[in-house]
Amino acid sequence: MSATTTTERPAPRRGTPPPRTPSTRKRALGLDRDAWFLLLPALLPILVLSVGPLLYGLSLAFTDAQAGRTEPTQWIGLDNFASLRFDSLFWDSFRVGLVWAVSVTALQFLLALGLALLLNQNLRFRWLARTLALVPWAMPEVVIGIMWRLVYHRDAGILNSTLRDLQLISENVNWLSSLSLALPAVIVVGVWAGMPQTTVVLLAGLQNVPHELHEAAALDGAGTWRRFRAVTWPALKPVVLAITSLNFIWNFNSFGLVYVLTQGGPGGETRLPMLFAYEEAFRYGQFGYAAAMGMVMIAVIAVLLTVFLRNRLKEADQ
Amino acid sequence: MSSLSRTCGRAGQYLALLCYLAFLAFPLLWLLSIAFKAPQELGTTDPTWLPRHPSLDNFRDAFDQQPLWGSALNSLLVATSAALISVLVAVPAAYALVRYRSAVSKAATGWILVSQMFPFVLVIIPLFLVLKNFQLINSQFGLILVYVVWNLPFALWMLQGYVRAVPASLEEAAAIDGCSRPRILFSVVLPLLTPGLVATLMFSFVTAWNEFFFALVLLKSPEKQTMSVILTHFLGAEGAADLGPLAAAAFLATIPSLLFFALLQRRLVNGMMNGAVKG
Amino acid sequence: MRRRNFLATALAAAPAASLLSGCGDDGDDGTLDYLSLAWQKESMEANKALVAEWNKRNPQRPVRYVQGSWDSVHDQLLTSFEGGEAPDVIHDEANDLTDFAHGGYLADLGELLPDGLRNQIPERTWDMVRFGGGTYGVPFLQEPRVLVANRRLLDDSGVRVPDTEDPWTWDEFEAAARKLSGKGSYGVAWSMKEPVNQSVNLSLTTGGAVFYREDGKDVVRFDRRDSYVAELIHRQVNRERTAPRGSLGMSGSDTLPGFFSGQYAMVPLNFSYRQQVEQQAPDGFEWTALPMPAGDLGPGSGPTQGMSPQTLSIAQDTKRKEDAMAFIAFLTQPDHMARLAAGDWIVPTGRKALRDPALNTRKHDWRTGIGMSEDLRASPVLGVRGYAEWKDKIATPAFQEYYSGSIGLDDLRGKLVEDGNRILARYQR
Repeated sequence: MSATTTTERPAPRRGTPPPRTPSTRKRALGLDRDAWFLLLPALLPILVLSVGPLLYGLSLAFTDAQAGRTEPTQWIGLDNFASLRFDSLFWDSFRVGLVWAVSVTALQFLLALGLALLLNQNLRFRWLARTLALVPWAMPEVVIGIMWRLVYHRDAGILNSTLRDLQLISENVNWLSSLSLALPAVIVVGVWAGMPQTTVVLLAGLQNVPHELHEAAALDGAGTWRRFRAVTWPALKPVVLAITSLNFIWNFNSFGLVYVLTQGGPGGETRLPMLFAYEEAFRYGQFGYAAAMGMVMIAVIAVLLTVFLRNRLKEADQ
Repeated sequence: MSSLSRTCGRAGQYLALLCYLAFLAFPLLWLLSIAFKAPQELGTTDPTWLPRHPSLDNFRDAFDQQPLWGSALNSLLVATSAALISVLVAVPAAYALVRYRSAVSKAATGWILVSQMFPFVLVIIPLFLVLKNFQLINSQFGLILVYVVWNLPFALWMLQGYVRAVPASLEEAAAIDGCSRPRILFSVVLPLLTPGLVATLMFSFVTAWNEFFFALVLLKSPEKQTMSVILTHFLGAEGAADLGPLAAAAFLATIPSLLFFALLQRRLVNGMMNGAVKG
Repeated sequence: MRRRNFLATALAAAPAASLLSGCGDDGDDGTLDYLSLAWQKESMEANKALVAEWNKRNPQRPVRYVQGSWDSVHDQLLTSFEGGEAPDVIHDEANDLTDFAHGGYLADLGELLPDGLRNQIPERTWDMVRFGGGTYGVPFLQEPRVLVANRRLLDDSGVRVPDTEDPWTWDEFEAAARKLSGKGSYGVAWSMKEPVNQSVNLSLTTGGAVFYREDGKDVVRFDRRDSYVAELIHRQVNRERTAPRGSLGMSGSDTLPGFFSGQYAMVPLNFSYRQQVEQQAPDGFEWTALPMPAGDLGPGSGPTQGMSPQTLSIAQDTKRKEDAMAFIAFLTQPDHMARLAAGDWIVPTGRKALRDPALNTRKHDWRTGIGMSEDLRASPVLGVRGYAEWKDKIATPAFQEYYSGSIGLDDLRGKLVEDGNRILARYQR
């Protein structure tokens, strides 16, 4: 499909790696024609359908944009950010959001690592186990929410009835409406829903751990834990950093599940910041204010990620 | 190590795996159980796993009330096209981003992260207006485009890793023969990327299959709507729901994705392996 | 969409636009889109049948049935309004119309309404859809809250069984709940996942309103008449233990399993829930729908409930408003309105539809709802700008905390009134 682009080019000298080929070709922004040819099919839709709307969305943060066409929009500079500073409800939800994102990400990682290690063993029915492990991924979010609401149901839920049968509780528990249990309960659902991606990525990382090193360490008499520390972990670390940082962003930004489960209740205990921004924009029509929230969230996540990934970034710079 | 302790270890592993699967897969079983229950059984305080009087009524009602077949076909069309196009577009781009170091690749990486951080609710309306300008409202092609763009960050992130894993020496040989970059990509690199492509395909397919909001606002005609939108038609006001038919329909809606996983899981694992590590 | 023009023009200039056109079909192909939120089998069938009938009679102005869902209708409408692609005829709820009407997205029906339809529906019901000087929807269905009660427990307890002619007072209700409570069972289960609308609408029984207009502005007050019912619920949960704390986080349908098993003798539910009750009740279970208690705090109190009816509206952007109105008039002519009401197990608003023999029956206690229709008034929250924000940010958490006993009445009042009025003030500058 690219035959036309192959003509009229000086033959590269022997031994020159492709990225450093002649400077005679026309370049734009450091890329030659071939590179643009490869990039454009992705860049065009991204520019039009993602970068454009995104920049537009960001610019709203400096306006008083509202839903409806009766009131003109004006630039108001940093007013939205000034109001946001004193919006204690928003900062409360920020706290909830951090607890949620950190716990979900951490638990997701730990549980997924365990599962990935197991699925990496040569067990029977591994294909079935791998498929079933992806079940949460296959279910639409609305259905997940409704399912878990049924599981947690106080009077008719399978959870309470199982715990009762095991005699672990004597009275039915209000999982989703008790002030202290609601957040842990939704965190469990969050972990459940996000495990497949993490497991799959970690499993993939595990397959790349050099087998010879493992055997050599085993011959040296190293125990399971030592082998994990010395051989598996170093090979796995880049994957772990990559997937946990992405997971953290996703978790911080998710609210659909929690919305179906609790609508942010009880008493605002599960009001995630993104739910806050969503309501600000879609319920109250305050687009400008919601965009300001979005920018603050980007800033905070970016700072947290920089701290989390500081070593990795340093390595990359060198 | 004695064979006894090895056997115990094995048994422990199976047990642990069983616990995991029970945790991960039980909502699906519960869904299945509800799908076969009569309304009376849904109102009981003493729920059982096995329906007392199993019946297919819910499945029949689900098919009677909503166009499940049509919407499943729509979903299949949209999700498959979105997945294929995402991969077709992402592979060359990921390759170029890895092999050419430039301001564009830095900007692209930055965009990948920021686009994941910004509240997507604020992007919806401008995006809607853009699509309207291209007359892509109420068009499945418009929806597919949105999904492609939506999937690209993850696809690029993953595929970049796979591309890095391909030894540059292979490409040098081809370059010496006078092959152009695109040619090298399609004849040399692409075959080595197959597992990564499968992984990306899967991710894009599932995301598009499950997505709800864009499908809701972009497709107005009933005959174009996708499965995830149809599922919400079993929901009423204030948390009320037509639970039996909803469970039946939802169960059917998860089957295609599960089949997809079962077929591809082997390749997915091998595929992620090369890419993610270097990513 | 004035302010988005810069974006729009920039993109319209893109040459690709001309290449891609033709992929989507144009909205204005002569068909009116009717977004319906009917979701139960019978009402969906009734709706579709009526649309088919209309299309047969009016081939020159066809209507297309588009299925929506209560769950997502607000987001769907907001996006399509902002994008200028809204459906022509919109089924929604009066509560949701305030901001859309204010934003200029809904047509004022004042001039369009045919006399027949206007006279069919009582003034007190039209009040539910009038705000800012316009009429933004045709209120066609409404559902009062009723007490669905376990017939056997009710009879066994020997309490007086109320009807719409002679409802319980709140005191009688409290006493009845006491009598109906026993070991491990409760007289009444309040489902308070969404506590605000209920609390405000029931305050009308004691002459309260929570929302008042003062000097042309909306303000919140929470005095004795406003808080009477809330205090009673708080008492039942926290002191008398005639209502379980566990049901406070539930939605209406969540309380049904406990109701069927006899744990809860009565559950306050919307009238249409009777269908779910009838469907899910175990064999031999007998239930009845009683009117909600009436206040007896002197003038202004009584069986009155605040109401936010289901509505049919017309989008401002629709070119053929007359046709859309004709279709709405067709859907709401008395026999059709009654048919839609029957399909939804809900009360119609039209005078003639209310007299429809199919609805005036003892079966499934239809008469209770029909009998209550005279006492339904516009919910005080209708037309209040900023109500949604007040509700989500202040009132929902505050009521939840109050009912579960973690804060007292003064704290509740402080939050609702002081914090609340600050929010409302932002919208009324």
